[in-house]
Amino acid sequence: MPAYRNIRLCSKDCLCLYVCPTGATDTENSIIDVTKCIPGCMACVNACPSGAISMVPGKYPPQQPKTEAVVAAQRALELSKVQQEQMANAIVVSSDSAVTRQFAAAIAKSNLRMAEDILRESGYMLPQSDKVRELLEAMLDNTAPDFPKDAVELLLNQL
Amino acid sequence: MRKFKCSICGYVYDESVGIPEKGIAPGTKWEDIPDDFTCPMCGAPKNLFELIDEAAPSATVSINDDAVHADNTEDLKELSPGEISAICSNLARGCEKQRLTAEMEAFRKIADYFKSKAVAESGGTLDDIAKMLDDDLTNRLPAANVAAKADADRGALRSLIWSEKVSMMMKTLLDRFAKEGDKMLENTNIYVCDICGFIYIGETPPEICPVCKVPKFQIIQVERR
Repeated sequence: MPAYRNIRLCSKDCLCLYVCPTGATDTENSIIDVTKCIPGCMACVNACPSGAISMVPGKYPPQQPKTEAVVAAQRALELSKVQQEQMANAIVVSSDSAVTRQFAAAIAKSNLRMAEDILRESGYMLPQSDKVRELLEAMLDNTAPDFPKDAVELLLNQL
Repeated sequence: MRKFKCSICGYVYDESVGIPEKGIAPGTKWEDIPDDFTCPMCGAPKNLFELIDEAAPSATVSINDDAVHADNTEDLKELSPGEISAICSNLARGCEKQRLTAEMEAFRKIADYFKSKAVAESGGTLDDIAKMLDDDLTNRLPAANVAAKADADRGALRSLIWSEKVSMMMKTLLDRFAKEGDKMLENTNIYVCDICGFIYIGETPPEICPVCKVPKFQIIQVERR
């Protein structure tokens, strides 16, 4: 559970620097040095007047159970959004009008955000969840030459 | 004097107050406001406002039962490349939040691979998108809402509320574009909320997203190329 500084909130009050027992917060690039940070110490979190430092959890809660009925209904909706995204992306490639391409690009992005959000709430919220592991394991069978198998292996090893 | 609420962002038009800064005097009746009126907060058209009836019981959802069954019994085929891409691009964002940089990049790589394999099934015009969207609004969204309510699945309900609002706004814009064509955007900008997907047309984005309420730095302009 190391500490993390949110640079958007940090107003350079620098109190973290004074309270940190190991100097983990004393870095040029504003990123707390996790090799020096004492897990669970909290000194900088409590000292920061801007509320800019928080602890990154070491463990995440298990995925909440989802019923088949909910997942099936979400699936129908999310699939429709994905298809609309693809149709809009095809218009971005094929339209002669710059304005139409711009509008279609907005439609595509909006659909992707909706699809991502619905999928996230249908059991794929945490990278560490069982459902994600199952999905990654199934990808190991993919033998296509351009498939980034190294990325799948990295994730299965590290998550 | 009555009140009308924007169904997208919750802005309330109060007849007794009007909107003096927009030239709508206090006491102006809803029916006397021009049809091209749009919500000052999110840009939703007048027809997406609802009368606030303080005496009415809370709204009940009535939907076509056949649609629920059709969706629930639909064959659960394997995930399509487009879906896997969306799962992985979102997991990349999740890893970013957990400061897992290498994992974020790995998920992005996988998302990009599947995105390149995902191609539109039909040729697809904006009109075809509008038709699918209609079907989302009349069938798929209400069916998903019923299922999520039955299970008190708060996470699913939250995402469905957002996507219903974003879908309604998108439908309005697709209808406008069908009528106005490129003129709709020629002299203005278009933005998409990076969190919920809300589309906004105007000079500058709103201070917060009218749907998911994130601050405007998350509402990203879509460039004309």
